[in-house]
Order: sequence, then C-alpha cells, then structure tokens
Amino acid sequence: MTQHGYGSWVTRLLLKGGPIIALFLLAGYLSAVSPHFRTTSNFMNVLAQTSVTAILAVGQTLVIISGGIDLSVAAMMALAGSLSAVSLAYWGWSVWLGLPLGLAMGTLLGLLNGLVITKGRIPDFIATLGMMTTARGVSLLLTQGLPVPSHVTAIQLKAYLPPELIWLGSGAVLGVPVPAVVAVATALLGWTVLHYSRLGRSALAVGGNREAARVSGINVDRARIAVYAFSGFTAGIGGLVLTGRLNSANALMGEGMELQSIGAVVLGGTNLFGGEGTVVGTAVGALIMGVLGNGLNLLNVSAFWQRVVMGLVIIIVVIFDQWRRRRFGA
Amino acid sequence: MSGGEILRLEGIDKRFPGVHALNQVDLDLVEGEIHMLLGENGAGKSTLLKILSGSILKDSGRILLRGRPVEITDAHHARTLGIGMVYQELSLVPGLTVAENIFLGRWPTRAGGLINWPEMVTQAEAVLGSLGVPVDPRVRVRNLSVAEQQLTEIARVLALDVQILLLDEPTSALSDRDRDRLFGFLRGLRGKGVSVLYTSHRLGEIREIGDRATVLRDGRKVGTVAVADAAEDTVVRMMVGRDIRERFPKTPVPIGAPVLTVRNLRASNLLRDISFTLHSGEILGVFGLRGAGRTTLARSLFGLARLESGEVLVNGGGIEVTSPEEAIRHGIGYTTEDRREGLVPMMGLPPNITLASLDGVTRAGIIDHREEQRIGARLVEDLRIQPPVLSRPVRLLSGGNQQKVVLAKWLASKSRVLIFDEPTRGIDVGAKTEVFQLMGRLCAQGVGLLMLSSEIPEVLAMADRILVMHRGRIAAEYARGEATQEDLLRSAVGLSGSGMEEA
Ligand SMILES: Nc1ncnc2c1ncn2[C@@H]1O[C@H](COP(=O)(O)OP(=O)(O)OP(=O)(O)O)[C@@H](O)[C@H]1O
Ligand SMILES: [Mg+2]
Repeated sequence: MTQHGYGSWVTRLLLKGGPIIALFLLAGYLSAVSPHFRTTSNFMNVLAQTSVTAILAVGQTLVIISGGIDLSVAAMMALAGSLSAVSLAYWGWSVWLGLPLGLAMGTLLGLLNGLVITKGRIPDFIATLGMMTTARGVSLLLTQGLPVPSHVTAIQLKAYLPPELIWLGSGAVLGVPVPAVVAVATALLGWTVLHYSRLGRSALAVGGNREAARVSGINVDRARIAVYAFSGFTAGIGGLVLTGRLNSANALMGEGMELQSIGAVVLGGTNLFGGEGTVVGTAVGALIMGVLGNGLNLLNVSAFWQRVVMGLVIIIVVIFDQWRRRRFGA
Repeated sequence: MSGGEILRLEGIDKRFPGVHALNQVDLDLVEGEIHMLLGENGAGKSTLLKILSGSILKDSGRILLRGRPVEITDAHHARTLGIGMVYQELSLVPGLTVAENIFLGRWPTRAGGLINWPEMVTQAEAVLGSLGVPVDPRVRVRNLSVAEQQLTEIARVLALDVQILLLDEPTSALSDRDRDRLFGFLRGLRGKGVSVLYTSHRLGEIREIGDRATVLRDGRKVGTVAVADAAEDTVVRMMVGRDIRERFPKTPVPIGAPVLTVRNLRASNLLRDISFTLHSGEILGVFGLRGAGRTTLARSLFGLARLESGEVLVNGGGIEVTSPEEAIRHGIGYTTEDRREGLVPMMGLPPNITLASLDGVTRAGIIDHREEQRIGARLVEDLRIQPPVLSRPVRLLSGGNQQKVVLAKWLASKSRVLIFDEPTRGIDVGAKTEVFQLMGRLCAQGVGLLMLSSEIPEVLAMADRILVMHRGRIAAEYARGEATQEDLLRSAVGLSGSGMEEA
C-alpha cells in the first residue's frame, strides 16, 4: 500500500473534468467547422439561451444530490412567471411586489412538493409528476390560456409588463445578457448552499445514505423539504427571466425544460442516484446542451434531427461518465 | 491437509489510485485445507479474495487452477470454476426473501421457466437446516439481524457446490454458538476435499480452524506458516510488524455521577423491565446471545425504536427520545451494528466524521471547512486510519478502516453517553488495542460508555460492570472481575450463574 498522491493529473482530470473536456471538444469542433460560431455575438446568444435551463438546473442539482428528482421545475416556472405577470399587468402591482410574488409562488410550490413526498410518503417521481400537471393546469386557469399580457389587452387596456422585468429577460450589462448574469448569480447561490450550508451537507448525506444521515442526527424530512423548496425558488427565478425574455408569460412556456434541466445535471457529472454532484458541473452541462443546440442550428441540422442528436449525446456522455467512474474508481 | 495443490497464485499485483493494494503476492492452496489469510486493516486481504472471486481484476500475475493458468473474468466465471465467496460487506438483496436470496439468479424452475416457489423454500430450508440456522426462508432479508444476514450469506454460497470457498470475515457478526456450527460445517467440507481461504480478525480462530496461515502486510506477503507450529504472538508480530504488549489496555478511571438512568423500560415487544444506571467514566458491558435484545435496547435509547413505557434520564433529567436527532441533542451517541448504516459512502473522511456534530463546525450557519479538515485530520491520525488521505471517499477504505471512521464520528461529537454496538467488529489486533485506549481516554473525560459486545474476553477485560441480557430482560449483573466466561454464557442462556442478581 505505497502512497503516491491521489493519482496523476491525467486521472484527476478524467475523474473530475469529464464535462469540461466534452464542452471544449464540442466548442473546438464547432469553431473549426463554423466561423460564425466563434463570434462574440453568437457566444452571447448561446449564453442567453442557456440561462433559463441553467437556472432550473441549479435547484434540480440539489434535488438530485439529495436522492430525489423534480419533474415539476418547468411547470412551477410557468406558474410563477404567469402569476407575476398577471399581478404586474392586470392587478397593477409594483415590481417590488410583483417579482417577489413569483419567487414566493415558486418556493411555495416546491415546499408543497417536499411536504407531499415526505409526509405523504409518495415517491419523488410521482409527486412531482402530479405537481407538473397541476401547476400547468393552475397556470392555464390563471391566464385563461392566453399570454399575459395578450395582444388584445395590451392594446385596449394598456396593460404592459414593466421595463424592469423585460430587462431581466432581454437586457444586457457590459454586453453580457442579463439572463446569463442571473444564471451565474443563481449558480453561485446554489454552490454556496451546497458547499457551505448545513442544508447542502444534509442533502449530500441524505442522498448518499439516508440511514446514515438519520442516525447521525440529520432531520431527513426537513432536509428534503428544504431542497424541494429551493428548487421551487430557482424555478421562480427562471419564471421571471423567461417571462422577461418572451415579453409575456404564458401557461405553457418552457415545456420540456424539466428534462433539459435533468440532462444538464447529469451531463455535469452529478450522480442520478444521489450523494454526489456539483453546481459547477451542472453549469457546464447546461452549456454543453446550449452549445450543441446552437451548433446544430448553425450547421443547418433540421429541428427533428436536433432532438435525436440531443438525446443520443446525453446517453453517450452518461455512459462515458459511468465508465470513468468504474475505471478510475471515482 | 491431504491432497495436492489446487490453486497457486504467482506475483499477483493490484493498484488502486494512490494505493498499491497487492504487491507481488504468491500463495498456494492445497486440497482439503483451511488456509487463514491474515493481516491488518487495509493489508489487501479482501482485494486478493475479490480477485479470485472475479469481482475485481488483477493488474498482473498468474493464477493456476490445478496447474492450469486461468484468467478469472467475472463472478459467474469464478463460479463455473468452482470458486464461491462470502463477501465481507453483506451483499444480500434486502427486499427479497431469504430463500430468494439463497438461490439468487438460479431459482429452481418448473416447466416453462416459471419459478418453483415451494421447491425453492424446501431447498432453502434444507440448506439452512444443514448449517443449523434458525431462519425462516420466507422472511424478507430486510427484517433479519446482522448475524442472521451473515448466516444467510454463508448459506447462499454453501448451497453452491464449490471446490474453493473464499470467506471474508464470515464470523465478524456471529455469536460463539453460530460460529461453532459454522466451524463444524467447514470441517465437514474440508473432509470432502474442499479448500477454504479464510480471513478473520479474531485471533482465536486461527488455531481453532486453520491449517496454515498466510500473512499480508501493506499489500506484500510476509510469509506462510503451519498453524500447528506458530505461536499466536508470532503471527501477530508478522501482521503488525511489532509486538503488542497489552491486548486489553484498561486505564482505571474514577467513576462519577450517573449520566444515563433507565427505569422499567419496555420496547419493541421484546424488552421488558430494563433498569440500569450508567455513570460518568464507566464502561458498562452488555453481553447476550443473538436475539437477546442488545441492539434493540441501543436503538430504543437512540430514538430508532419506539419505547412502550419506562423512563430514561440523562444527567438526572428525564428525556423523551423519538429520533436520533433528539438523542444526539441530549448527548447520546450510537455506533450502529452494521457500519454501512453509519457512513455516507461517497463522502470523504472529514464530512463523514463531522456528520453527527455539524454544529461544532458551523459558524453563523456557514460550514467552516478548515475546522472540519482539522478535526478530520486529528482523528485520522489518532485512530491511524489508513490510508490517511482525507479526500478519499470512505467506500474505498478497507472494512476495518471504515469501522474506525464510524468511531471517529462519535469521538468528534462530544457525546456524554456513547453506545458502542460491536465496536471492534472487523478491526485488526493493533487497532482494537487503539480503540480500547481511546475508550479509556473517553472515560477519563467523563463519558459513560455502554459497550455491546459478543466478544467475551473483550467484555471481561474492558467493562467496569457487565449486564447480561436474555430474551429481552437483564438476566444478570456482574461487577468487574466477578464473572468468568462460563458465568456470562450461563446467564446468557438463562441459567442462573453465581454472583447474580435475579432481575
Ligand atoms: N475499489 C478500490 N479503490 C481504491 N482503493 C481501494 C479499493 N478497494 C480497496 N482499496 C484499498 O486497497 C487497500 C487494501 O484493501 P482491502 O480491502 O483488500 O484490505 P483488507 O486487508 O481486506 O482490510 P480489512 O481487514 O480492513 O477488511 C486499502 O488501502 C483500500 O483502501
Ligand atoms: Mg477486508
């Protein structure tokens, strides 16, 4: 049992840096075949498009690390965004109330997820699947199936979304899209929670070995509820940003994003069975998906094929990830 | 030891990232012998056995089976070669029944490929019966005690018709009686020419069952000796590389005020009329046979099992404990019988060690990583956890080193009452001594220790007082030095011994 550090830098990179390597390979390839890919404006475009997925994926990361899964992130996002938009455009609320309302709504929905799962003893998958449908339904009821504000109301009632919300979705600071800034801030928050808070530590322990967490005095139910509430909160942030980007909210916005967020988390190297994962990895995972989608567009790949490629890439990367875990005993 | 050589290993080498687990190991196994594989925690015993059972691959070296070189590729391949293994960490499927587990993957079938359930149960009963295991094959494994699981695990492998049997610490969770039965069975197999490669940290077993012994240290082979002409001390010196003067270092500590008082406790349909007091600085040993209720007692005090009635007082104040969280808040700590219940496998050492005392490393809600590393490093050094690489996920540590991490967690927690359930399970001679020294240090700090153990010599040497449990009651209490091995055993089976207070 001779000691020689913990592997060479090559093994270390393969152990931890899988997603980064994939991102660089992909970006390198696209730069080579498409000159337009390299432009700053395209890069900013990718960032803006990736942001909402990345924001949702931050909460999703914590949920998956704790051994759960949240299928309702996109639906919670739509309801949070719709509620904010309705309060701002129709109820005449100020941004200081309307935006926090969306965040509160998201958090509340997440909290409900957590309560149903822990107190109702229902599998995470089922509970959040139920929430996914329910939240979409409530959004439809709230918006009556129309965009908020709709064209008609915008013209007749002069009901607009405030410029602050539009800025959140389409503005820029120093040339960087605001959504990207929000995504980075959200990721920082997620990283801090995971790395420095009791909640993050509890999530890792609960996901790694629930029984061990319990006998070590961690309140397992409380930790899981909090993690789902956090996911609801980041979904709320995503709802505001997406509403700003679309210039209006609608009940069906972001459909399918729950799967994209899960894809980003898994591409980022987080263990789908819980217990290990990083927020930075998730951010990289979201970028891989963004860059890939952008590249396929630039290469004129049809939208139908894009879906096929996306799906295959997720599967291939995860196979590679499992292989390196086994091979290098990560 | 009769027949010729059945298995020969030449220059077996295996590296894991950062560890040279096996370094050019040679070994030969003769037909019909029980060959002990000995060594400290992390010496490479399990690694060697796993290579033979096909669950991991060697880096280099040759394996010759009856003189012919073989490359063992996976567990199934090993089985077709007549090699079967009982793993150190239990590997049963908790949600399946005992019978299903015993015949996992080769369930007896009827015409059409459907599983023949009655046949499976009957066969399972036969296997368990031949081992003398009183377990119902229809029970789910989840509901078995650790000892019962271990017996099931052994039965599963014995149900295969093997030529070479690999046993990785099969007795670490067994009571003496179960162990005697197992040994009887192994002798029977030896008589039929089956060869057994056997690891254990219970030194008494070397002489009891072994024919020859091979000792590993730091991944290298130290030597092979015939058990008949090697003294125990010689083997220990080969294992640890030095003499161990005192196996049970007991430091006398003044006994202080009561820290834990239990009155008329009743729980889980098993425990009745449990009353005792644990004092500061005291080691209270609790001995009993399988099923006597020791672990249930520990679990009820720690909030893992429901109390039906009775009083629990900590430092003189009555407490009501319904969860481990509350128990810990009241200063009670508990090392579970199954160490896998106490560890988060992918986490490194420091986060595992501070898991039960996060308050101690949190400043204003923020985890202080530097403090956490410091505490981790100190305990890793104190307990000589190997390898001392803090960031290494605990699941990559050898079994004994994992056990030390569990102990470290509760040492870090500053509990006033510690319940140790089989604290030395699976740890090596040297480390046992270290754990006993640590127990002494804890007592000197005023901690009260409840030590649940099936190792009679350990209990006799370390405990200040001994409670013996039988069928959910305290059957006898002995002061230090008052009881003999005989007394404990007699009380444990419900016979009255000398010097006993009828409960
Ligand atoms: N999959 C793995 N990846 C990395 N290191 C490993 C792995 N398995 C074992 N090791 C390391 O190899 C060394 C030998 O481990 P092994 O489990 O064979 O020890 P052992 O002799 O069985 O010890 P014990 O008596 O504690 O069970 C240890 O240092 C252990 O940490
Ligand atoms: Mg071992």
